[in-house]
Amino acid sequence: MKKKVISALMTAALAVSMTASIVAADTVTIGVYEPASGDNGAGGKQETLGMQYAYSQQPTVEIGGVEYDVNLDIVDNESNNDKAVSAASKLVSDGSSIILGSYGSGVSIAGSQTFADGGVPAVGVTCTNPQVTLGNTHYFRICFLDPFQGTVLANFASQNFEAKKAYILTKQGDDYSAGLGHYFDQAFQALGGETKAETFPEGNSDFTSYITAAKNFEADVIMAPTSTEAAALIIEQAAAQGVEVPLLAGDTWDSNVILNAAKDKNVQIFVTTFYQEGGNAEFDQGMKDFINSDDTNLANNGGDDTVAAVTAMGYDAYYVALAALQAAGSTDPAAVNEALWTLTYDGVCGHVEFDENGDAKRDTAFVKSANTETGAWDFVTEQTISE
Amino acid sequence: MKKKKELVISLVLIAVLIGILRLMEINISPQSKWAMLMTVLKKGSIYALVAVSMNLLNGFTGLFSLGQAGFMMIGAYTYAIFTIPADQREMVYMYYNGGIVKFAIPAICGVLLAGVFAAFFAFLIGIPVLRLKSDYLAIATLGFAEIMRALFQWDTLGPLTNGSNMLRSYPTPASASVIYPFVVSGVCIAVIVLMINSTYGRAFKAIRDDEIAAEAMGINLAHHKRIAFTVSSFFAGISGALLAMFQTNVQAKSFNSAMTYEILLIVVIGGIGSVTGSVISSFLFIACSEWLLRFLDEQHVIGEFTVPLMRSGFRKVVFSIIIMVIVLFFRQGIMGTREFSISGILNKISGRSRKAQKGEPK
Repeated sequence: MKKKVISALMTAALAVSMTASIVAADTVTIGVYEPASGDNGAGGKQETLGMQYAYSQQPTVEIGGVEYDVNLDIVDNESNNDKAVSAASKLVSDGSSIILGSYGSGVSIAGSQTFADGGVPAVGVTCTNPQVTLGNTHYFRICFLDPFQGTVLANFASQNFEAKKAYILTKQGDDYSAGLGHYFDQAFQALGGETKAETFPEGNSDFTSYITAAKNFEADVIMAPTSTEAAALIIEQAAAQGVEVPLLAGDTWDSNVILNAAKDKNVQIFVTTFYQEGGNAEFDQGMKDFINSDDTNLANNGGDDTVAAVTAMGYDAYYVALAALQAAGSTDPAAVNEALWTLTYDGVCGHVEFDENGDAKRDTAFVKSANTETGAWDFVTEQTISE
Repeated sequence: MKKKKELVISLVLIAVLIGILRLMEINISPQSKWAMLMTVLKKGSIYALVAVSMNLLNGFTGLFSLGQAGFMMIGAYTYAIFTIPADQREMVYMYYNGGIVKFAIPAICGVLLAGVFAAFFAFLIGIPVLRLKSDYLAIATLGFAEIMRALFQWDTLGPLTNGSNMLRSYPTPASASVIYPFVVSGVCIAVIVLMINSTYGRAFKAIRDDEIAAEAMGINLAHHKRIAFTVSSFFAGISGALLAMFQTNVQAKSFNSAMTYEILLIVVIGGIGSVTGSVISSFLFIACSEWLLRFLDEQHVIGEFTVPLMRSGFRKVVFSIIIMVIVLFFRQGIMGTREFSISGILNKISGRSRKAQKGEPK
């Protein structure tokens, strides 16, 4: 009896999943390959929000003279390399013409081969590790890279704070953290600075000794490119020990988690990022309205309506996908892949154009600091590497 | 005579299975709706091997070990480190000047070496750890797996393991063809089955049922436990190598304790002490978690009505409930300790028809 019930349920599940993905004739599928759970779930959801907002603005696209409905196919890659392959395979089998994502470079690299086998081009949104696009012809990205970001931060530290000593704290086993720390280290030493690099293990919740080490080293800046949950703890500990030197980090810290952690504390936090809230008033207002219009959106954005840079990047990514489809004049993934090489697009985060690796040509990053009184980001400067 | 007939039937069935897989592979393009089935088959066969290897330890020898993900990691890293083509190393080990290993060996040798390394580490760790019993053994092996993970991420070992960064660009035959993982897993599982049916297997079961009685019967406990542990880890290492191929990249952080629990869950659902149970449940588990339940993550609108709760993450809620129901109400799992076999089914059918002829009630 029990077995019969189980087998009936299984059959039902199979039937539903089969019928679920039937789509109308003139539809083009854009795959969204983003984490909604796991370590990077929070950032992935914010990035997806930007795409959903763009989709709500522009749910159709004209390709080769025919109006197509866009089907935004969102799949959770669970921030996990092991699960990412089947998520990628799902998007390819759903007939995606182009794929957007992911937040987090690891899963992007993990899904890359599946996209290549399926012949579908992918556009990375905020995966900053150089290895994503290196050595392949189907992966593109619209953000800057870690070597650039690390150099920008090192220049910023030496120019604005005349820093001579930097303490670098990265998370063990996290390629993003290790990579960005590595490039900062290189660039800072090239500028004549002295560095001390340490790593903390995954799941570590006591940063007392690391902050003490930074103080004993008499660091002028502390560089901590980590995920947001560790960041909140680092900020708390830095405030508790009265650290007066600035904390520097990359794009992951551009999150309301950091703002909430830093509020009413005596800390200085500077981050490099892709977009500065206020950069485009119309977009900001529309985005805030979209977030506030729905409880789920609000929850996905972390409970308030601060526009994260990754959201703006997600928004741009969607329009880049539409532009690529239009330029290709076809929904054929191979044609879209070809069209991406020569595509140019001006979005809220700036000009997008791909180089020979498929990376966006970006030469400036925004630097902003956390305002501990208002709990918002203050614009500091636009930093380039050439100066 | 009967044995010979069974062997012939089995070989024919295996040939038919490979033929079907080959046909599917030719006919199902990556864009087709059924492409997910191929992904599930690949990953399912890899998990089947590691589940059976864990069952050898937990189900047949009664050693409750939770180190499987750690041994898989050793296998995956061994395979990746030794098979990355020499000209790709500069790119993969970009922070470590190309790493210290400067040569590459063929893929199949890499798979074997993965098993050997995993077995070697198991042998070493087995010397102190196997003196422990039940829960303590589980804790020690779990700790071992976590230590190995931290070690592989350690910067100082970077030239060998690439530290926190991933290894990639190695040959991936198991990702390219579904037959490869099926054949490798199939052969390995066959070896495990042969072992279970041998003198060793009977000794393992005796140890599981009662250690003292087994010792009194003249079974060398330490020796047999070590063999079970090492052999199980050998095959876990091989499945790790296959998983590395399937994922097309290796990073230590994905081999966490959650992975071990996933494998343990497969073993429990399949039935502790049943090889075929583990195999069946690993395909079922992978199919449900990665494919069939994915529609729960999408929003559905029927007419004007938006189905509530259906959003990203709901799949995991439903999946957890299903697992809880299985563990609470079907504790025996799918197969219990029984085995699924073709000859068994044939016997049953012929037995039933004989009974029916005699007019006996079923």
